[in-house]
Amino acid sequence: MGSAMRAARAQLEVATHNLANVASDGYRRAAARVALTARGLTVSARTVADQGGIRQTGRPFDLALLGVGAFRVGDEVMRGGAFTRDRDGWLVDDRGRRLRGACGPLRVSAEARIAPDGTVHDHGRIVDRLPLPRGTRIQAGALESSTVNAVDETLAILTAQRAFETAQKTLVAIDATRQKAVNDVVRLK
Amino acid sequence: MFAAASGMAAQQTQLEVIADNLANADVAGFKEAAATFADVRAGSLGLGTAQVGKHPVFAQGKLMKSGGPFDVAIDGPGFFVVERGGERAYTRNGEFARDADGALRNAQGWALHGVQIPSDALAVHVASDGRVSVDTPAGKDRAIAQLRLASFASAEGLRPLGATLFGASDASGSPRLFTPGAHGAPSIAFGMLERSNVSIVESMMQILGAQRAYEANAKGVQAADEMLRIANNLQRG
Repeated sequence: MGSAMRAARAQLEVATHNLANVASDGYRRAAARVALTARGLTVSARTVADQGGIRQTGRPFDLALLGVGAFRVGDEVMRGGAFTRDRDGWLVDDRGRRLRGACGPLRVSAEARIAPDGTVHDHGRIVDRLPLPRGTRIQAGALESSTVNAVDETLAILTAQRAFETAQKTLVAIDATRQKAVNDVVRLK
Repeated sequence: MFAAASGMAAQQTQLEVIADNLANADVAGFKEAAATFADVRAGSLGLGTAQVGKHPVFAQGKLMKSGGPFDVAIDGPGFFVVERGGERAYTRNGEFARDADGALRNAQGWALHGVQIPSDALAVHVASDGRVSVDTPAGKDRAIAQLRLASFASAEGLRPLGATLFGASDASGSPRLFTPGAHGAPSIAFGMLERSNVSIVESMMQILGAQRAYEANAKGVQAADEMLRIANNLQRG
């Protein structure tokens, strides 16, 4: 029963992490998967690759991905596409990491535009392109909202809480049974 | 529990930003701000969320006719250059009034750079290319100054100075002055003001969303707390 309590606790952590990121653009919710193994219940979280809603922002270098894939920034990939142009013309995310195109970090003028197919147009020329998987398109001037649904996560929180209580009650019952076995059965002799 | 608490903190920040936007929805030239959040994790462990940035959104506000005799607005990107006590700032708010010393000042006392109205001027005009002219008893339409606007390599890096003013910073780069009205460049609209680009309806919706998200996160804290309480009481059975 200890593992059931730990599992409920882990499920709660997944749900609260999701819920905390209900306003994080580009965040994709994690789903908790509970499995019964030889060591009891184990919980693993995996990211669910749903498409988030698209929200217009009016900033030209906010990019939303429609479909699969991610942006390459520095050595990492990320789904959130809130980029700004810094003073030297590099497109950077909020942490200052540079967005990479097919030919390296993107450096553009303020008039540059990113087309739905990922090509970067600057002064009428194509200067680079963002590598996209087949079928994925980019919408500029918009952001992909978090895929977290607050109702689902609240439900998951309540479920985890009740599962925890159930496991605790069961544990107490087992404890009571053993107590009886240890104390009363011995006394009968 | 801390993940949920970080979510509450994020929603509170969100509410503060929206409230500030709403409070300034009627201020000419005001630009709304947007906070951005990202998830925080250590390996596979989710630690909640954190604010990663806050930017002004420089989308154009609607131009509206105003009654002020010295009101100007910019149609397109760029900033008015204003100064006070040797310090320079940049603003989209073109609500100026003529001062006793001939300078055009805004409500905070910042003077429009490079414009000095002669004491005998009866009326002032600003052309779409930024040429400032006055009517005096001696003659009509006498040119006295040329308005120049400032642009920045990265306007989003500008330092907010309160009200509608911004200061140049390392992130924004230094200002580049240009003459408005040229081909493709922004132009000046005289007798107009730029309204703030805050959408009240959208802000109200955001407030509702943030409020609900705050409550949901509070539920998460409560649930975590409840689990700890149960765990603490285990021994008493």
